[in-house]
Order: sequence, then structure tokens, then C-alpha cells
Amino acid sequence: MPSEITLFEARRVITMNPSRPEATHIAVHDGRVLMVGTAEDCAGLDAVPDRRFADKVILPGFVEGHAHVMEGTLWRQTYVGAGDRRSPDGRRVPGLRDIGAVVDRLSEADRSIADPDQLLYGWGFDPLHLGGARLTRHDLDRVSTTRPVMVHHASLHITNVNSLLLEMAGFDETTAIDGVPKLPDGTPSGELQGIAARLRLFRGLGYNPMSGTLDAADVGRFGAAAQLQGITTIADLHNDLTDATVAVYGAACVEGLPVRIVPALASVSCPPEDGVARIGRLVAANTERLRFGIVKIVVDGSIQGFTARLLPPGYHNGAPNGLWYVAPEDLDRIVGIYHAAGIQLHIHTNGNEATEAALDAVEKAQIAHPRPDHRHTLQHCQMATEAQLRRVKALGLCLNLFSNHLYYWGDSHHDLTMGPERAARIDAAGSAARLGIPLAIHSDAPVTPLGPLFTAWCAVNRTTSSGRVLGPEERLSVAQALHAVTLGAAYTLRMDHCVGSIEAGKFADFAVLDADPFETPPEALKDIPVHATVLGGRVFAVPPA
Amino acid sequence: MRPGLPAPATRCPLTVVGGFLGAGKTTLLNRLLAGSQGRYAVLVNDFGAINVDAGLIQDHDGQTLRLTNGCVCCSLADGFLDTLMRVLAEPEPFDHIVIEASGVGDPGAIAEIALVEPGLVLRGVVVLADAERVPGLAADPRLGDTLARQIRAADLLVLNKRDLVDEAGRAAARDTLAALAPGVPVIETVAAALPASVFDLGGAGPDRARRGSARLRAEAVTHEEAFQRLLYRRAGAFDRAALERALTGMPASLLRLKGRLGLADRPGMHLLQMVGRRWSLSPLPEPAPDAAELVGIAATDPEAGPALAGLLDAALRPPHTPHGDRTRCA
Repeated sequence: MPSEITLFEARRVITMNPSRPEATHIAVHDGRVLMVGTAEDCAGLDAVPDRRFADKVILPGFVEGHAHVMEGTLWRQTYVGAGDRRSPDGRRVPGLRDIGAVVDRLSEADRSIADPDQLLYGWGFDPLHLGGARLTRHDLDRVSTTRPVMVHHASLHITNVNSLLLEMAGFDETTAIDGVPKLPDGTPSGELQGIAARLRLFRGLGYNPMSGTLDAADVGRFGAAAQLQGITTIADLHNDLTDATVAVYGAACVEGLPVRIVPALASVSCPPEDGVARIGRLVAANTERLRFGIVKIVVDGSIQGFTARLLPPGYHNGAPNGLWYVAPEDLDRIVGIYHAAGIQLHIHTNGNEATEAALDAVEKAQIAHPRPDHRHTLQHCQMATEAQLRRVKALGLCLNLFSNHLYYWGDSHHDLTMGPERAARIDAAGSAARLGIPLAIHSDAPVTPLGPLFTAWCAVNRTTSSGRVLGPEERLSVAQALHAVTLGAAYTLRMDHCVGSIEAGKFADFAVLDADPFETPPEALKDIPVHATVLGGRVFAVPPA
Repeated sequence: MRPGLPAPATRCPLTVVGGFLGAGKTTLLNRLLAGSQGRYAVLVNDFGAINVDAGLIQDHDGQTLRLTNGCVCCSLADGFLDTLMRVLAEPEPFDHIVIEASGVGDPGAIAEIALVEPGLVLRGVVVLADAERVPGLAADPRLGDTLARQIRAADLLVLNKRDLVDEAGRAAARDTLAALAPGVPVIETVAAALPASVFDLGGAGPDRARRGSARLRAEAVTHEEAFQRLLYRRAGAFDRAALERALTGMPASLLRLKGRLGLADRPGMHLLQMVGRRWSLSPLPEPAPDAAELVGIAATDPEAGPALAGLLDAALRPPHTPHGDRTRCA
């Protein structure tokens, strides 16, 4: 006996299907869209009407093409970042704008942890949004002098610890490495950076709190945090995909998880020949909710950490050029092997010199092994020049730009890393759209908060946290930005045939909004509440913030 | 109060092997693993390229290779810090830990670990350079700074693939290295055939030093002909400041120096360890017999032996009766 047809009615359905851009009714059968249209179009269906969204606006479920499952792992810990976030259980967690507030939030967490020796771990700290204020061991000693306390910066490269943890790690006034800076009195400040300092920190603790096996609850939190933002498909864009991780994913990505997950194999975790074989095995186990097949390569570091590789004239403040995480000639080889094997690559390039190396590698791979519709995607690609974007287009590459950077680090790029001219074209979505490059935009959560409407707001307004507008010529229209967080992102994941728009035959994955983004002032795009999501026809409520 | 880490009875030497992609790091590490006479832990980036005789393999689980000679080779693909923490936590201590920096990595950043990890002492940073490629890499706008960072971190430079260049190419490569890292000893090799004694010159710790001399004599015959062994034996004790000056001025052809000596201002024997330009002195738990015995490895430079002896003699405090010999082995 066939299962029943549900007919969702909405104030407006924005489909992202150019031949049927708008509708009011969506018929869903067996998890897929049966028909999109007007009441009249659907009148002949033997359907059960569902009018709960009758005053809402339905969009395709958002597709986050670049995040990390660490977003789910970190919510075990205490968030102390500057931006507001929603925790996976739906609570609104306000951003903290001074050191006192950070200490208060950690002290509250300290009181809630029963084991007096257990590490208290804060994450997301960003001094740039605290007027450059430094966190020292004295601040963290106000949280506890008897429990180890550690706070990770949003960059994940710097850690602050309390005096007890300094002592456990063996750091004192005699420590003489750059990664352990000192206070004016000669004692360590509690800030730790670099592998040597981090090794001692973890040795002092007895374990590495940043690693450890993923569990199903982590995946659950990742999915829940995404669902709150209207996301129905999300990439975990760098994962070793050990057998244990794959098993956890398999067990977690079942009915009840509100998202589809696309994990990318980290190229650094194995030689490309092995990676090709592993992808082959993983793809055979793909389901509707868990989709393996893509590979991530990281070419350089980050711009705000001065580890991105830049072409001349380099860093605006004169900092030396950044770091290659893979040598350009190795990149050629790795790209060549995956490309020839038919595997899609997601290549992290922040600086424009890294982007150039990636373009060269893809060009060589295309010449050696011409391959239509490869859809290799440059991830972040924040500093690409106009000439590089023309090569992106010519080589058939896609872009997934890090638009959230505009808000979170835009001022820093303007003042320190790139200077006014280059900062004005950071994450040049407008140029990409003019050139017709397939385009997505992303959060890189947990680096910045999940939220496709916020990401779209960044691309539409290009407003920094201080209120400066960076490069108005690179702004997207609301329609372009919404496309980038739905069908555009789906295209970069090779999933545009099944998600990213609302049309017959595709998964019934929706984001249900309280307001119409086309009737909302662009500067308020980020404030539209997500009312619910639908995944495969099943409704998942979003609790009010 | 939580206990800190126990201070280890003996600190494990750490050597960092660096060099740009293709410089010969893996070849060197393969040789080291197969030929080691001590219990080594070798941490590598490209685990798949590790190639030792099957008869040497005791156990292989995909991330760790255990050899019948006691050595362990670990893949860094699981994460650098997690791998190193596992090695440091092994119940039976290693004689030596060797870490391979990645082809674009900074070996100096890895070497910093030994400055803060009480269980480790930095033996040296050995950086390989491809004789054919190094001038071009140094001039490459994309790669020059990465190469320079690596070369400048070196205590000992290995100019590898010497057979692939003519005399002009060799000179250009040496000029490149000298410009980037003036004064750092450069040893030329073919197929990264560095003597194993650069890593393990007659045992890693004081317990082995007692039988060190005999072992070295036996080992010397197997040396590649491009290297010579230098033996320095004298009665007397060194003036510390003068010894430090002597060590700073050693001939560039000296790769390695190790041995036991007394200091005029301190009781007891001291162990001298020197790799390239990096040296350390540590006290040994034994009385000083008022004599020094040092062993060196140098490139085939006829001046190396006399220069070494002259510098050390000048730092030695009288009275001393020169009864030592100076042996050069082919």
C-alpha cells in the first residue's frame, strides 16, 4: 500500500528552480517532492494537507558547504567567543565582549563540573573583538587555581591557560621559547603557541584534549546545531575518516538526524593512491543521509594568522610570507592523481599565491587528463585576484568563499593583513557572480558561527564588525546570496540533482522562515528567524531563540 | 597538588631531519632504520616510502613498524603531537628519537620541542639539500623563503645527490648553502649515505660510552670512504671557556664529535656531544681520570685532524703529558 502524500502549504515557496521560481504548495511523497505549484495545481492529488507553515516562507534547506564536525565536539566545552551562537540544544549563547565576561562564563562552568581535577576548556576566544585585550593566567586564575583551565582562541592556534596548568606543563620564568611569551615580571603570561608549547601542555595534562575519537553524540550535536540555522545538508570538510570515524558516522546518520552529512577525506591523512582506494570503498556505502566521495587538500594557512601564502606585495603590515602546507609540486602530483581517478577535490587556498598554485595544479591535471564537469572547488579563496577568477572560470572550477570573514576579520584585513585596496575585494563574490563562476559561501564553523542567513547577510552587505563596508562592488544581491547558500553550495558538493532547490523528484528538504527574505531589508537578512526545517519530508521544529 | 612529569633519569637525544621535498630524507631514514645499532624511534611523514628488509620487520600495523633490531618507525599522518606523545609514553625508553620534518616544514620549530620537554635533549638538526635543485629552489619566488627557513635551522647540512652535478653545479650548491647558513658544516653525500655514526656515535648514553671505543673501531671499517674517523686522546682537563671557544671554531668538515672529558673547574667526567655546530656537555656519574677521549667524524679533509687536535690542545690545561695518538681511518 503506497504511503500517503503530504501537501505543505506556505505563504510563499521560493524554489530556486528558475523555471518555477515561486509557488505556495509542495506535495511530498516518500521523502521526495512530488509536485510544486499552486493550490490549483495540486488539487487533483489525494494528499493530506499540512497547513502548519501556511503563514511561513519555505526555501530549499540550506546547504553549508564548508564546516567541521568539531562544531559538535566543541559544544561539550564552554563557548567564550565574541559572537552570539546557538548551542545544539537551542539555547542562545550570547557573545562576550570583555575579559570579565569571559571569566564569569568560565567560573559558571567551573561550578557545574563535579570532578575538581577535570579540565575546564573554553573555546572561540577572539581578542580582536575585545579591543585587543589579552587574556592572562591571572584572569584564568580568577576562574580556578585548583583545576586546570584552558581557553582556545577562535583561530585554534593559540591557547591560554591558568597558572596551575602552566605548572603542570613545566613552564616558568626559565622557559625560553617564543611560543611561551612572558609578562613584564618575567613569568609566563599563560599564552601558548606552536607545537613545542602545545606538546608540553598536553603532556602536562596527560592527554590531548583536542583529539580523541568522534562519537555519535558529537555528530548529533553537529547536526542539531546546523538544523537550528535551517541547514539540511552540511559538509564536514576535513576528516581523517578512520574506520572508527566512518563507523560512528554510519551509526549517527540515520532517521532522526536532521541533516545530511558530506564528509571530505583529508588528503594529508594518506597518500593519494590510498585515498583513491579509500574513496572507492566509502562511496559504495553511501546512503541518502551520508555521502562520501570528496577529498580536501589544504594548501596554506590563514590570512589573519599570517600563515596564508600571498603574492607580492605580501602582507600590508610587512609580515613575512606564510606557510605552504603542501609544496606546489606535491600539490600538482596529488591533484593529478585524484583528478585522473575522477574524484572531486576541495582545495583550501586563503592567500592568492596558494590560489595560483592550485590553479596551476588543476590546469596541469586538466591538460594531462581532460575531464568534463570535475567541479573541483577552491575553498575560502579569499584573496583571489580578478585575473585568477578568470582562470577559475576558464578551468571549470567552483568557488566556496568565506564570506563570514568580512564581518569577523574584515577590519583586521583592512588595517593589518591586506590594506584597504585588497581588503575591499576579499571574498569577491560579486566578481565571481559577474564571471558566472559556480558559487557558494560558508561559515567554516566552528571558526565562525553556523548560519547561512548570516553568511548571506555578510555577502549582501559586506559590513565589518566595526560597521565599515568593504568593497560595495563585490556585494551580492539577496537572490544571488540565497542561491549561494542553497543550489550554489549543492552544486559544489555534486548534490544539485537531489538537494538545493525545491522541485519534483528532489529530496523534500526545506528551510521554513518566519519572514520573506525578499521583503526584508537586506541589512536585516541575518535576523529572520528560522521556524523549522524539513528533511526528507519530516518536520524538525526550531525552538524559539 | 598534581605531580608534574617525573624527571627522567636520562634524557633521550632528539635529532630532527629536515629538507625540501626530494632532498633524500626518506633514503636517509631507511638507512638509519636498517643499520641502527640502538633502539631508535623514527617518526616519518611518508610512511609508505619506508622500505626496510622484510626480515627486519617484527610487526606492522599500518601506522607503526616495529623492527627486530628494536627500532620503531611511526607515521606522523595520525597527527604530529599525538604520535610524539605516544612515542614519549612508551614504557621502554628509546636510545634516540629522530623526527622527520615535512618537505615544506620548519625543522627548527620541531627542534624547539627539546627545549621544553624535560625527557629530551636536542642532538642536532640535520637538513638535507638536493645538490641539483638547491640553487634553483633558493631563487624560486614561491619556495625560496621556505627553503631558507629550513637551511637556516640546520646544525649540519647534507648536500645530497652530489653525483648528479658537475663541479660548477657543486660549487653553486655550496654557495647557496653558505649564503643562507654561513659557517654551518656541509657534508656531501650520494644517495644520502651519511655515516650512521652521525646519529649514534658509539652509544647514546653514559652506559654505552664505556664500551664506545671498541665499538667505534669495529664500526670504522664499514664507513663510506668519503668520511674519516678522528680520535683524540689526551691526559689533563679542559678549561671550560677555552673549550667552548675551540668547539665554536671547529673545521667545517667536522660532522660529529663525541666523547668523555674532564673540566678543570668541575669534578667528574663530562659527556660531549656535537652534531655540526651544535654541542652540549653533560655530567657523567663517574670520577674523572684526568684524561679526555673524543671521537670525531669528518669529511675527507686532510686538515681536519690536525686542526681539531690543535684547537682542542689549546684548550687543554697543563700539566698534561701528550701520550695520545691520532688515528685516521679510511
